[in-house]
Amino acid sequence: MISGYLDGLGMVLQFGTLLAIAGGTLLGIIMGALPGLTSAMAVALLLPVTFGMPPVMGIGMMLGALCGAGASGSIPAILLNIPGTPSSVATTFDGFPMAKKGEAGRALGLSIVASFLGGIASMVILSLLAPPIADFALRFGAAEYFSLSVFGLVIIASVAGKSLLKGLIAGLLGFFVSIIGTDPITGVDRFTFGELSLLTGVNLLPALIGLFAVSQVLKDAFEYDPHQRLKDSGHRIDVARPRFLETLKHWRALLVGILSGSIVGPVPGAGGSIASLVAYDQARRFSRHPEKFGTGHAPGIVSVESANNALLGGALIPTLALGIPGEAATAVLLGGLMIQGVTPGPMLFDDQSGIVHGIFLAYLVANIFMLLIMCLGIKLFIRVLMVPRKQLLSAILVLCFIGVYGVDGDVFNLYLMLGFGILGYFLNRYGFGTAPVILGLILGPIAESNLRRGLQAFEGDWTPFFTRPISLTFLVIAAGLLVLTLWQNYRANRVPVQASKEGANP
Amino acid sequence: MKRLLSTLTIAATMVLGAPAMAADYPTKSVSMVVPFSAGGGNDTFVRALQPLLEKQLGQDLVIRNIAGGGGAVGTSRVAASKPDGYTMLAASNAMLTLEAMGNVAFTHDDFDFIAKVIEEPYVIAVGDNKKYKDLKSLIEASKQGKRLRVGVSGVGSSAHIAAVAMQNRTGADFNIIPYPGGSETISAAMGNHVDAVVLGGSELRSALESGRLTALAMTYAERSDSLPDVPTFQEEGYDLTLTVWRGIAAPKGIPEEVEQQWVKAIKQIVADGSYEKTAENLGTQLAPLYGDELDSFIDQSADVMREAAGDLAK
Repeated sequence: MISGYLDGLGMVLQFGTLLAIAGGTLLGIIMGALPGLTSAMAVALLLPVTFGMPPVMGIGMMLGALCGAGASGSIPAILLNIPGTPSSVATTFDGFPMAKKGEAGRALGLSIVASFLGGIASMVILSLLAPPIADFALRFGAAEYFSLSVFGLVIIASVAGKSLLKGLIAGLLGFFVSIIGTDPITGVDRFTFGELSLLTGVNLLPALIGLFAVSQVLKDAFEYDPHQRLKDSGHRIDVARPRFLETLKHWRALLVGILSGSIVGPVPGAGGSIASLVAYDQARRFSRHPEKFGTGHAPGIVSVESANNALLGGALIPTLALGIPGEAATAVLLGGLMIQGVTPGPMLFDDQSGIVHGIFLAYLVANIFMLLIMCLGIKLFIRVLMVPRKQLLSAILVLCFIGVYGVDGDVFNLYLMLGFGILGYFLNRYGFGTAPVILGLILGPIAESNLRRGLQAFEGDWTPFFTRPISLTFLVIAAGLLVLTLWQNYRANRVPVQASKEGANP
Repeated sequence: MKRLLSTLTIAATMVLGAPAMAADYPTKSVSMVVPFSAGGGNDTFVRALQPLLEKQLGQDLVIRNIAGGGGAVGTSRVAASKPDGYTMLAASNAMLTLEAMGNVAFTHDDFDFIAKVIEEPYVIAVGDNKKYKDLKSLIEASKQGKRLRVGVSGVGSSAHIAAVAMQNRTGADFNIIPYPGGSETISAAMGNHVDAVVLGGSELRSALESGRLTALAMTYAERSDSLPDVPTFQEEGYDLTLTVWRGIAAPKGIPEEVEQQWVKAIKQIVADGSYEKTAENLGTQLAPLYGDELDSFIDQSADVMREAAGDLAK
């Protein structure tokens, strides 16, 4: 073990390797910060570059890109209310309100440190517990996935905003959109209207960028008042610095984030997008001040961002221990590993050659570079807000188009993005919110296909959904949280006068 | 003088330009359309080939992932583009599957196939190798009245069609359960949520090497070097030969010279031997095929797919 780490250290601590990791991290940060460009794209771009490199160097470079993109998705989420990736949707809930108060620098400082700590913690978990966690993830069959998605649906209550009913309606809308495309079990086309691009369903990224970025641009454009352009933006640059102590002060939120990222992250195909939402939901529920969430509350940012980078370590667990990538970015990474001749699997961990330890250390180093680059850049990022609204809005729209076109090179996705943008504008205007739509869109296919897959595998018997232990656990927790939510709603409605007074006079 | 010079230059370009286009090919970067998103088998195959092709062709190769519709969008796009050799397709038997399922407007006759580069077999593998020691015991179990749960990647995918073909030829009773992709299918088999899986050899490679899954049979005509211990269906007495292949295609009607340039480049890469190791690491093997041999291979594969897809529709 020790000798493995020493060998690994020898591979990582070389000038070329460090430079490759730093370069990968920088590219990841840039790609992650631009709405629509994803970490999967950053890793795919680097893939041919890594062929000539020794394994740890090439893999370190790709890990750097993953890590950088995981952290920098928070920048547009905080500054502009635009999440660059599905996993930074929850960052907007508290990050943007805090930025609106003029404390964008503080929000960034919190998110950077939380990302770093989340990344480091997940690296420790990855190096110590990867094989047993991977085995646990394998116990997820159709029934377990279905119950996990039911558990995830309860989150809608937390992200719904003021009205639970409107949140549920928005969630159902997302659910409906998710059934467009080829039926996952029988292969029949549903609502595709002969459009080839819809055969595989509505792509998540155009929906996300449309619902959040385009709708936000529309809102700002409608509210734009040319006579007020000289108004002081009110942003304070001096608060922009990394917030180590403040982040640690919210250790409970940090812990919730790390645990959610590490537990939900390794579940292939489900973890990536919902881990940070689960973290936000849990941090809010177990907070002493749940009402402060959504108003620029620091623990909200800390929980989401620590989950965001912890889930990267989590997603690496099945990738390295089983050769099963959880989502697109780790799938590209897996391709890179195999071209390098590194075969993932339990044998990788028994192997004393030091490569796997080198990979862990490279991931650690990537997190350190991420912290350094983000800390150096924090005062620069915030200047985005100094750009006049008019120019900024058009620049964002251009980036949205580039990003969404870049996913699949499919023009149809651009129309989808614009359609979702208009939908998102009206959803926000009438208080439905856009986050529940995304949640429905992510969870819908998992719930539907696994319910049907399970019924097919159990030959039409539905009892296994309630008798398999993991499945039952999720369902019981989901039911418990649902009752809790209804009870809280009931209590909140009983004292509405007092609550609204407190809200109006802060 | 200046004007005369520029006029002459333009005239010279026009005169020389037309025939030079094919002979000097390529004079600008070539886009290679991968009809799947980054990270899939097709994408990795081309990205590994990219630096070698760029060296041979002397121009940049721009890889464009045009995903959607299980490969339908990107493949249709290439079929509709100009056959000038600057838009190429990372082809695989997925396009034949799409054609066989009848959801798309193109057929394999809309393409000029330039080369088949690598191939891999379809493999049927199990998670529990004590219960199912070999293909015979698996089929025996099914004949005893147990419906085998068989996971495949994607509904209507080529692996799905291969599984149907296996069921038909062996007479076993399969309860075919489609998963969204290879990794979900493999984890279902590792967790014993299904009895067996049918997947391409490269997707299964690390699972087989780690011993988590055991291959029972594969669909080559003869045993392969990458899986020397795995018997073929032919050996087991079933007439079933199918391969997953990957290669390069272009829209119908590209100039002969351009095709020759590509064939030359790929032949050179194959001869250099550096790609062989990469192909092997990916769990595939080099199986180059060009020209008329390739065309008849494609026609034959398309027939097999169409027949199996017809069974699927029933």
